[in-house]
Amino acid sequence: MSELAATVMNLPRRDAQDKLRGRTKYTNDRTRPDMLHAVLLRSTVPAGRIRKLDVSAALRCPGVRAVATGADAPGLYGIGIADHPLLAIDTIRYHGEPIAVIAAETEKQARAALAAIVLEVEPLAPVFTMAEALQPAARLVHEGWRGYEVITEGGARSGNIAWEAKSSRGDVDAAFARPDIRIVESSFTVGRQSHVPFEPRVAIGSWEDGRAHIQTSTQVPWTVRNVTGRVMQLPPGRVRVTVPPVGGGFGLKFDASIEPITALLARMTGRTVVLENTRQEEMATCLCRENAEIRIRSAVTAEGYIAGREAVVLMDCGAYGGEQVFLTTMTAHTLGGNYRVGATRLVSRAVYTNTPPNGAFRACNGVYNTFALERHTDEICEALGFDPMAFRKKNVLGDGDLGATGQVFEADVLGPMLDRMETLRASTGTSQAKADGRLYGIATTVGTWFVFVGPSAATVNLNADGSATLVTSGVEIGSGTMVQSLPQIVAGQLGLAPDQVIVREADTDAAGLDVGVGGGRTTVSIGAASVAACAEVREKLLRTAGEMLQTRPEDLVLREGRVEITGRPGSGMSIPAIVAHAQATTGPITGSGAFTARNAPAMSGCAMGHFIDALDIPVFVVHEAEVAVDADTGHVEVLAYRVVQDVGRALNPRAILGQIQGGVVQGLGYALHEEVTITADGRIAQDDFETYRLPLAQDVIAVAADLYEGAPSMGPLGTKGAGEVPILAVGAAIGCAVARAIGKPVRQLPLTPPRVLRLLHEREPPPDFPHIAPGWASNTLG
Amino acid sequence: MVVTFQLNGEDCRFDGDPMTPLVDILRQERFLTGTKAVCREGFCGACTVHVDDEAVPSCLKPVGLVQGCAVTTIEGLSSGNQVLHPLQANFEAADAVQCGMCFPGMVMSLSAFVRDNPHASRPEIKAAMVGNICRCTGYERIVDAVADCLDQARKAGQLVGGIHV
Repeated sequence: MSELAATVMNLPRRDAQDKLRGRTKYTNDRTRPDMLHAVLLRSTVPAGRIRKLDVSAALRCPGVRAVATGADAPGLYGIGIADHPLLAIDTIRYHGEPIAVIAAETEKQARAALAAIVLEVEPLAPVFTMAEALQPAARLVHEGWRGYEVITEGGARSGNIAWEAKSSRGDVDAAFARPDIRIVESSFTVGRQSHVPFEPRVAIGSWEDGRAHIQTSTQVPWTVRNVTGRVMQLPPGRVRVTVPPVGGGFGLKFDASIEPITALLARMTGRTVVLENTRQEEMATCLCRENAEIRIRSAVTAEGYIAGREAVVLMDCGAYGGEQVFLTTMTAHTLGGNYRVGATRLVSRAVYTNTPPNGAFRACNGVYNTFALERHTDEICEALGFDPMAFRKKNVLGDGDLGATGQVFEADVLGPMLDRMETLRASTGTSQAKADGRLYGIATTVGTWFVFVGPSAATVNLNADGSATLVTSGVEIGSGTMVQSLPQIVAGQLGLAPDQVIVREADTDAAGLDVGVGGGRTTVSIGAASVAACAEVREKLLRTAGEMLQTRPEDLVLREGRVEITGRPGSGMSIPAIVAHAQATTGPITGSGAFTARNAPAMSGCAMGHFIDALDIPVFVVHEAEVAVDADTGHVEVLAYRVVQDVGRALNPRAILGQIQGGVVQGLGYALHEEVTITADGRIAQDDFETYRLPLAQDVIAVAADLYEGAPSMGPLGTKGAGEVPILAVGAAIGCAVARAIGKPVRQLPLTPPRVLRLLHEREPPPDFPHIAPGWASNTLG
Repeated sequence: MVVTFQLNGEDCRFDGDPMTPLVDILRQERFLTGTKAVCREGFCGACTVHVDDEAVPSCLKPVGLVQGCAVTTIEGLSSGNQVLHPLQANFEAADAVQCGMCFPGMVMSLSAFVRDNPHASRPEIKAAMVGNICRCTGYERIVDAVADCLDQARKAGQLVGGIHV
């Protein structure tokens, strides 16, 4: 049996039964009666200066054991730049910002004590929108921005521009000056999206042997460890983070937020402290997918060649830089993806506002840039009279084509995937008949995303009972990597059955560095580290077996729990016998493995302020939607949805199809009805399940999906991450299909019924960005 | 005020504010954490339990109103090492679970539904799920598994879950 055949299977989830019986203990199921409960005093203004903060009366309240303020955790954290305090220090920058925290014997006592905190705030004029923030005379959200520690060098920054990333390749001015081109310009605006994981952000902190131990619902145990170290001004090694099963993340838990507070309180009290966001707090301070504004222009010839392209993308990071600083990088690879372009220049700016900070959300940045790029592509086709499918087939990235940063793409992937979509459509048929008199639209769109590779470590211990223990910093957030792909990979490498592979949940004291579960990276990065660990195990196992069998190790194979002599099934001996021998002679059999990014090169000088210059593993999708629009109500019904997804190699096809269904449905919510708005006093208006409209069973349909295998990937067995990307092109496919159905340009998401009606009746004003200068270069810091 | 009720077949006594939501007693006093408190407003269904065989959100049920009732939680549906309820078995077999936090409530809602509606169609199953939100799966696999469960029961000539639900 080949390694591949031993790995690929529809392995069921080992955690399903406990989850179905209600036995799984998520972090917020681990509260015990002897724990202290922490509650936060949060700001009720969007911007202000703290004139007085006196917690002495709160400390005397019944049951209160500790009160902490920003003075107790003076270190700042962030991604790229350290601009974020754990608890507000002197300045309040958003409605809902934590200012102080109380730990008491009961939650009720802690809440009661909040009223005893004396807080005097001098309100400041808030800066709510990117348009306001970019005014020349705008108040600075961070007056002291110049003084912040720069963690990652290279980005341009100034005032309310937290970070700016640029890519520039070729002579764009010359392309736009060509006599044989037409210029098409489009503007788009999108709102925020709230993740709504069923388990909110929650942490349980204790202080053990002079170190912090935080149990928490996170995707990034090492980030929580490092951020806790920063804010408490401790060496990060004095923080241990362990992660129980996570009740949903979707990117929200890809950064630290409230976790270090529990360590701080545990150190102050010597007690174990639990802090859990209420649902209202969770939604009001959600690190949402950011709202964004996009202007894109293209110079296209009559033959359909895209000679030049330029764009400005503004990303609202809210009060603190957070993930948006990093995500400015992604514009080059998303808005700059999909198509072969002659010359291109793109600028992406993360802008501070006095609104709750934004963060990472499944296919961050890619979701709206793909919407913008695909709608812009349709506007090009309409302006120049091209068939949208033919135009896409002619122009999608293929073997040897250059990306926005000058990266050279390998292999034809998107072209064959478009063909596969036509085959899929032929097999499912179309659903126009179901429109039943309503306006019907169908659109096929493409998308470019990536696998966020980066460092991972793995250790494999081979046990005397023939089982193997895999120790990593991986986390099971629901995507199945820890219970499906990783045990499959290890089993395939060692000739075991997957149920013989024990997978340890993340513990930063037990496993090496990992940049977290997100960006479609776990199966690839932890998988590759696991393969490397297994190689060391195999080498030791076969060497020991060779001595025992008097056979050269290269003549031995691992198969079905045995070491056999090649070509002689049933020969050799069982793994337990060899492990027992090794333990008695050379010691236990263990292996360790490591993996990190290859750092594919960009073209010199093409990428500025980027955290990733080029994509090590691009991932492509083709999405097709059919919609019916009710012209009387503006309601959009999705009649059919089809996906062709580049998976490299499908290790567990059934699990991937589950991710595609779930990811597409999250995308349908984003495209159609999940809407976040900011109130006049700077709050997120949708802070419960009544006001934030999540997809329900009756809103959704079964997605028809085809897994495209064989595109190049450095992932183990040629695999690519499959869980993040299904959401990528949903806004694009729905936006394009609705635009075709109603015959009007769609330039904003979500397409709620009122918005669709306004579009139909031409009462929806097109996006207008006076704060984006007409000349591209004027939108850069030079 | 003292409230007494049956909890998973055993006597349960609560002495306190009768307006306390049932979910808080289950989770905080009985450590029956299979009942999830997600939205606490009756929208998500993750805290669904059976009260006298009827599926109700325990976040909206003041404990005073379960006086004398029989309350069954997910832990009581198939306790110990008992075989799974057919719905649970079908969800497991179909690889329907992801993060898993909505599933206890999903199982409690749908177990009452399939008991009362053995001939339910796919659209009827979806309509029955209006009070149960899932953020991970996109629902379809859950609907398929419920439909399969009803099919299997019809073929075997049995009610789903027998008399226990």
